[in-house]
Amino acid sequence: MTSAGLDRAKAGLPGRPLSQSGSRPGGRPGTPRGWLRRRPFGGPRWVGWVFVLPGLIGLAVFIVIPQVASLILGFSNSTLLGGTQFTGTENFVRLFRDPQFLNSVLVTAIFVLVYVPANIAISMAMALWLKTRIAGRNWLRVIFLIPALSPMVANAAVFRLLFQKDGAVNEGLAAIGIGPVPWLSDGNWALATVIGVSLWQSFGYNMIVLGAGIDSISPDVIAASRIDGAGRFRRFFSITLPLVSPALFFTTVLTVIGAWQTFAQAYVITGGGPGNSTMTIMLYLYQTAFTNNQLGYASAIATVLFVIIAIFTLFQLWGQRKWVHYD
Amino acid sequence: MRPVGIAANSTVAWAFAVVFSFPLIWTFFTALKPADEVFGTHISFIGSKVLWSNFVDAWTQVDFGRLLLNSLLVAAISTVLTLVVASLTAFAFARLRFPGRNAVFLLFVITLTLPSEVAVVPLFLGFDQVRLTDTWVALILPGLFGAFGAFLLRQFMLQIPGELEEAARLDGASTWRIFTGVIIPLVRPALSVLAIFAFLGSWNSFLWPLIILNSSDKWTIPIGIAGFTTQTGTQWQLLMAACVMTIAPVVIVIAFAQRQLVAAIGAGAFGGR
Repeated sequence: MTSAGLDRAKAGLPGRPLSQSGSRPGGRPGTPRGWLRRRPFGGPRWVGWVFVLPGLIGLAVFIVIPQVASLILGFSNSTLLGGTQFTGTENFVRLFRDPQFLNSVLVTAIFVLVYVPANIAISMAMALWLKTRIAGRNWLRVIFLIPALSPMVANAAVFRLLFQKDGAVNEGLAAIGIGPVPWLSDGNWALATVIGVSLWQSFGYNMIVLGAGIDSISPDVIAASRIDGAGRFRRFFSITLPLVSPALFFTTVLTVIGAWQTFAQAYVITGGGPGNSTMTIMLYLYQTAFTNNQLGYASAIATVLFVIIAIFTLFQLWGQRKWVHYD
Repeated sequence: MRPVGIAANSTVAWAFAVVFSFPLIWTFFTALKPADEVFGTHISFIGSKVLWSNFVDAWTQVDFGRLLLNSLLVAAISTVLTLVVASLTAFAFARLRFPGRNAVFLLFVITLTLPSEVAVVPLFLGFDQVRLTDTWVALILPGLFGAFGAFLLRQFMLQIPGELEEAARLDGASTWRIFTGVIIPLVRPALSVLAIFAFLGSWNSFLWPLIILNSSDKWTIPIGIAGFTTQTGTQWQLLMAACVMTIAPVVIVIAFAQRQLVAAIGAGAFGGR
């Protein structure tokens, strides 16, 4: 089900030049399928396996097997030097009574629920804005993209400086009579700051994905709706939004997956503090595994995170038929 | 839009871009300030002296030279290997028919939705078993096999007309020869986009290097910067100089390859953020 949905998502990918080829592996546009049946290279049928094998082995060893192993390790008390014993569901019972873990789930959930809608809304608004007539808009696009492709750690270090008690942001606010905001020393402000930095850093990327989706809308459709007298808002909700929905869906799914795994920003800007107020699940997992050497327990955290992400992803795949339009 | 409207619209957009870029601009000017003027009572971009020597100090005191060299080497190796693996895989998916192809393809598609960072613990344990922790082998290997690169190249390879291969085939070319001699040269633009993304992916990577590398002589830039920020008594002007030297290459790459990058990101070739 996952795959079918994603296959369709890929079929509906935005961007004209790359995605014309359709969703079918090997199906080439405008070519009779018989061409493929004739085995273009005449070589043995298994020759394809030789080419696919390096990638497949790597994918299995470094992506698929660790995911499965993580699920299994969650049922153990594995440590780095102490070996591994299976302890049944003990870790999970402990997890659901671990206030630090429950807190990290809450913190990450707040992060996701604020960050993802805000990210999508800002990306969409900026993508639409950059479609209007602006001098040098290509360069604007590049400027907004820079943080998304720069090292998160460097960006985070920059913001740590800006949001110090006597940093530039508070100095600027003081100049207009607002007074020092405890950006990093108050729990709520710290989480808000981490979310804000993440938005600053990332929206440029989704802006481009959605911008390509908007570009792929036929100008005829827009023109027709104009002639029919559709206003700006009507045009957005009845034309642009449905037609860009495959790109929107694709972006949202991957942004949600990424948001649940937020790590670097919290690690560098706040270290999870103050008082665990920015302790994301991944940061707690990292500390549990590599500071406290509880690898089994950390794997149980990973399992719960995996399940949370799976639920969110499957929910979106199920929900897409209600709002995503493929043509 | 009337000319006045365009001018107003452009002005607002560029003003927004300036506010947006303020953190990076501030970083640059902070990197040039004397240590005791990083936090001033008033916002001023220029301190009492302009100290280009901060960049030199960052180079020596944080050992930025070594970090830079490490990051460049790791990124270069990762990029080359990613291109090799991804192009082989993409070729098999786009141009060859073999039993089980659809099943393998499906597996690749499914891995796109796997939350990769969730699996760092078993990955670490695996490398520990084979005594490879704290090595570049362990640092580089797990990053080479993401499915996005293979999909990007596959999309390009699908658009190559079959007649070219048939002609080569009639001339007696082997499958390998067709791959290296016909297909690869034709997807060179896609390869260069993938190279940029592989490079940036490695350049920016943080969680895995943080976990797998212990010795500071093997660290990459992000680990060095993070270690630097969590120390007490941070020397902000040096840290910002290091950040400038880390972000500047990215800005240069984006500026030169903006058209290709925007096209590839727009095609969804590398997921979302």
